[in-house]
Amino acid sequence: MSESSSTVVSRPAGRRSAPAEGGARIELVALTKRYPGQSEPAVDDVSMDIAAGELVMLLGPSGCGKTTTMKMINRLIEPTSGHVLINGEDVLRLDPAELRRRIGYVIQQIGLFPHLTIAENIGLVPRLLGWKAVTIAARVDELLELVGLDPSAYRGRYPRQLSGGQQQRVGVARALAADPPVMLMDEPFGATDPITREHLQTEFHKLQRELRKTIVFVTHDFDEALRLGDRIAVLRERSVIAQFDTPERILSAPADEYVAGFVGSAAAIRRSGLTTVDDALRHIALAPPGDDSGGLSVSGEDTVRDAIDAMLRNGRDRIHVTDRDGAVLGSLDFTRICELWARAGQPGGRDVG
Amino acid sequence: MSFAEYLEFNWDDLLTMAAEHLAVVVVALALAVLIGVSVGMLTWQSPRWSGVALAASGGLLTIPSLALLALLIPVLGLGWVPSVTALVLYSLLPIVRNTVAGLRAVDPAILEAADGMGLSRTGAMWRVQLPMAWPVIITGIRVSAQLLFAIATIAAYVAGPGFGHEIFAGLARLGAANALNQAIAGTLGVVALALVFDAAFIVIRRLTTSRGLRV
Repeated sequence: MSESSSTVVSRPAGRRSAPAEGGARIELVALTKRYPGQSEPAVDDVSMDIAAGELVMLLGPSGCGKTTTMKMINRLIEPTSGHVLINGEDVLRLDPAELRRRIGYVIQQIGLFPHLTIAENIGLVPRLLGWKAVTIAARVDELLELVGLDPSAYRGRYPRQLSGGQQQRVGVARALAADPPVMLMDEPFGATDPITREHLQTEFHKLQRELRKTIVFVTHDFDEALRLGDRIAVLRERSVIAQFDTPERILSAPADEYVAGFVGSAAAIRRSGLTTVDDALRHIALAPPGDDSGGLSVSGEDTVRDAIDAMLRNGRDRIHVTDRDGAVLGSLDFTRICELWARAGQPGGRDVG
Repeated sequence: MSFAEYLEFNWDDLLTMAAEHLAVVVVALALAVLIGVSVGMLTWQSPRWSGVALAASGGLLTIPSLALLALLIPVLGLGWVPSVTALVLYSLLPIVRNTVAGLRAVDPAILEAADGMGLSRTGAMWRVQLPMAWPVIITGIRVSAQLLFAIATIAAYVAGPGFGHEIFAGLARLGAANALNQAIAGTLGVVALALVFDAAFIVIRRLTTSRGLRV
């Protein structure tokens, strides 16, 4: 796939601003879906500009039209009016089946083909695209490695021989098979147990930081949206966008009551989980190390939440911050954390993240 | 003449009849699979049309076999053609019904995945749906095969091939020398063929079903 040159469009600043490589820009222009016999449209005049390499979460309650919006991108649902542009190309002008082979698709039920081996499942789209058998075999092994499954152990197995979490990894590998610039994911981790889900989310987040696909990810789980999204589109009924912003901004400056309802009561704590100590140090200075930290320390990659948690658990009011080699840089205390919030949390102010 | 002597004396003839009986069933079954699976593939999605197909193939089964064969004589004459035709018509119901049921049983999420990956309708049918429905379809074919071995005997009435002639000739002469032996030899021949064929089906089913679908 051709790489996009339009990487500058509304990239959120901060920790996730790696250069966009694998992705393509997606524009939704006045996208509307009306079903015959229904007075209200299911999706009403939605416009959205998604930068190449960006991971956008569509967040909303069930029935709000988020899945319908997503499915119009690969034309599993045909829009009534409006356009979807991928790298400037109108998808309505393309053959739907060919379009879908260039867009990875992952669903909650996974939908692995039970009669095919893991290798055959992953290699199906490359085969449809006419790749050589050798190339496909190499690609399958590469992808299995990528999602953390040993190729020699798993390529010949059948889906029913895998656990739910393993199946979902294969689902992601299958969607990545032909190296599509765009991925659509419909609550992909929703059916797994909480522990597996968190595990899959962490792995997926790491993977995405490497691959930089443009991803539209549907979820109703606010924590998942915070954890994974570069930006979150909070949707009301009819898929109307209530707020489309970075996780930090949604936590610090929810646009209205509706968005605030998603954020709930622990907004500050949740935000501290999105802010690394390195991020915090751009806003505040550390206190002198002191010698009463009781051996507690965090590093730059830990979050402020980790720091607060460690302090509360150990009944200390300060914690050492160390650099990569473990040398103490200074210490963080509650006064400084409050200061951080005061500086970064004003609506319209710079993002913490 | 004892039954064993009868068998020994007529062994060559009996083998020929067995071969013919098997051939007529296999040919009819092959045609029925072609027609029945196609009908199932074309109608499974529409409750209305699959209903019509099932009612029609079910209706065919209610026609007494003798009557059907007699009705076919003016159109198709005697011998193999009317025999095979009648057998095809009788074997459609289990094949159509199981094809429709098997295709419908494929999880919609799997079809959505196929659709989302860019498989065409036909591509999804051949690569995904049909292989997944196959164990159910082949069970239908097996039921049809059992039906056909029995019904094929009646084909003797239109001078068709197989054990039918042996059985009816024996029954017609009951009381005469070797008449009973003749009828029993024919009947046992049909039963033996059906059992061997059924066993073969178990092997075929295993060989043609993906390991991923075996429970």
